[in-house]
Amino acid sequence: MMVRRLAAWLDDRFGTNAVLHEALVKIFPDHWSFYLGEFALYFFMTLVGTGIWLTFAFDASPQNAYPSVLELANRAHPIGYVIRQIHHWAAVCFVAAILVHMGRIFFTGAYRRPRELNWIVGLTMLMLASLTGFTGYSLPNDDLSGTGLRIADTVALSVPFFGRWASSVINGGESYPGPLLLGHLYTFHVYFLPIAIATLLAAHLGMLVYQKHTQFDRKPAVVVGRRLWPDYALRTIAVFGATLAGLALLAALFEINPVESYGLYHPWIVMDGAVPDWYTAFLEGALRLGPATEISIFGHPIPPVFWPGVVLPGLTFTFLLCWPFIEQKLTGDTASHDVLDLPTQAPWRVAVGSALIFDGILLTLAAADDQTAAALHLRLETLVWIYRILLFAGPLVAAIIAARIAGEMRARVREEVEYPSDVTTLVRNADGGFDEEEPQPA
Amino acid sequence: MKVVFFLGVTILGALGATAAAAAGASPALLGIALAVAFLGLAGASAAAAIALHAPDDLTEPRVARGPTHPPPLPRDGVSRRVFGRLWLGALGAFGVLGFVPLISLARKPGRRTITGWRSGLRLVNENNAPIRHDMLAEGGVTTVFPQDGVDLPDGPVVLIRVSPDVLRAAGDAGGATPNGCIAFSKICTHAGCPVALYRHQSHELYCPCHQSRFDVLNHARNISGPAPRPLPQLPIGVDAHGYLVARGDFDAPVGPDDWYRPI
Repeated sequence: MMVRRLAAWLDDRFGTNAVLHEALVKIFPDHWSFYLGEFALYFFMTLVGTGIWLTFAFDASPQNAYPSVLELANRAHPIGYVIRQIHHWAAVCFVAAILVHMGRIFFTGAYRRPRELNWIVGLTMLMLASLTGFTGYSLPNDDLSGTGLRIADTVALSVPFFGRWASSVINGGESYPGPLLLGHLYTFHVYFLPIAIATLLAAHLGMLVYQKHTQFDRKPAVVVGRRLWPDYALRTIAVFGATLAGLALLAALFEINPVESYGLYHPWIVMDGAVPDWYTAFLEGALRLGPATEISIFGHPIPPVFWPGVVLPGLTFTFLLCWPFIEQKLTGDTASHDVLDLPTQAPWRVAVGSALIFDGILLTLAAADDQTAAALHLRLETLVWIYRILLFAGPLVAAIIAARIAGEMRARVREEVEYPSDVTTLVRNADGGFDEEEPQPA
Repeated sequence: MKVVFFLGVTILGALGATAAAAAGASPALLGIALAVAFLGLAGASAAAAIALHAPDDLTEPRVARGPTHPPPLPRDGVSRRVFGRLWLGALGAFGVLGFVPLISLARKPGRRTITGWRSGLRLVNENNAPIRHDMLAEGGVTTVFPQDGVDLPDGPVVLIRVSPDVLRAAGDAGGATPNGCIAFSKICTHAGCPVALYRHQSHELYCPCHQSRFDVLNHARNISGPAPRPLPQLPIGVDAHGYLVARGDFDAPVGPDDWYRPI
């Protein structure tokens, strides 16, 4: 009753009910894989909610950052503990959900015309989400994140010509850790990056609604699916509840980022076997596999961290951003697609995706190469060389195998369509009886 | 019926979590109560969605969003040339102006590393207490700092004591090694991590971040891993009171290189 009266009040002033009605009866295609992006959305909402609470409990000044985290989030302060744990778990899950969602978009060709721009917006959000995560877990000024920050500072510093400028702006001084560093991280983590993500998220969803969702159903002229209200709304509330329940369980049972055991950051202390949050681990792995050679241009050094730390992620993300257009060039397919491919329908796309995933996993594993070498009783140098070779040879092999499997599956589906095994044609013969006809290609 | 059950679970879970928080229960209990509340919500909405038996093959038309070809804008005597070039030029000028505040944010690209070391300065531990030349056992290792400069990020030094015989056999490791004590910058030349581990059998320093190894008996040369150059050595001696002192600053720049640091 209250809702109706409020709706009537708003309708009276803004004429909103017509729009609302149109929105509520809107049809959304339904498939389990279409819910993956929603998980990302709910992780983000959780991050904003818990994050706002954390801003009231956290002191971002360099002297007080670490003690204030210890105070707000120890087991004797269960509310703060659970909120910070949910926040950190939601951050690592957020990036994971975006990646899985992106995998669905990639392998079904959902980014094809007319949705190239939404692919770019989504990919930008992935980068911003990683950056938000990194600036966030660097805020407590503990020894693990401080060491990570020093590595990040070195990577920024390695950029030819601009490096020293960038590092000095971020640090607010000429050396690491600069006096303004923590304040800058805080501003980026709490204001710029989340606002940028929220803005892009609005654009992402706006484009989705305006262009309408893709579907597997092969009827290009119509959207086939479920009504938003109440059918789809109930489903998405279920996804929301499941997301939050999962986060609460993780927070309750598995402690993540126990800063109290890391200690305050000191430039001369580092833990053995330290690894960063999983989504930045591929960069750490790349740094471990990178070359030791320092080349020089006009007497200016190019430090070795530049290649794995700047060039590699830069090229990868540029390639991914351009991918919809590269595909159009390669296949000549510039038509609009509202109907999705099954992954097996485009073996070469499966090949490209598998190659990227292979290197992503390899670099992530390389971030723990010292522990792996110890566990396998290998010399670390041997393992590094195995990883280096796999980094270039592995994607080729993965691409060929994946394309073969996808190709075989596609051929089998075609065979099934062209020679249906359970359909026969009966033909009247001269004697008035019926004969089974040999199957013919359709 | 199921919906009622799950909504009951939600209410119980939410109230339970509130009670747990109010009673100061353990984080595990609080988290599990929260999880129960949200699981109830998920169950209730899922059960309600299933009970709807709503069709999944409703359709709505897709509207083509192709080129719309609106009528041309009125020109009113403004030539396209003037409108395009000059206005674009003005925009570009503001773009150039935009670099001024950006560049002004940076501090002058001067010397970035402040090690704090100079000749005669004592080596101290993290409590600013001086180190005697015989404090370390042979094969021992510790982290030392310039006196009154424990907080300087590029000052930390790893002090190692090797047997003087081994040092002599290795060609004295460049001299300035009183009583077998030898000192190198603790800041890795690769990515700035502390070179925190010492393997005394092989006389190697090892960086736990990216696994670079340095040969202590050979000027801390980088022998493995991604570090591009040796760890800078700090020349040390012993003062009149038997304490270790620096004989100058490091023999090379500390930490990773960048564009402006000449090779």
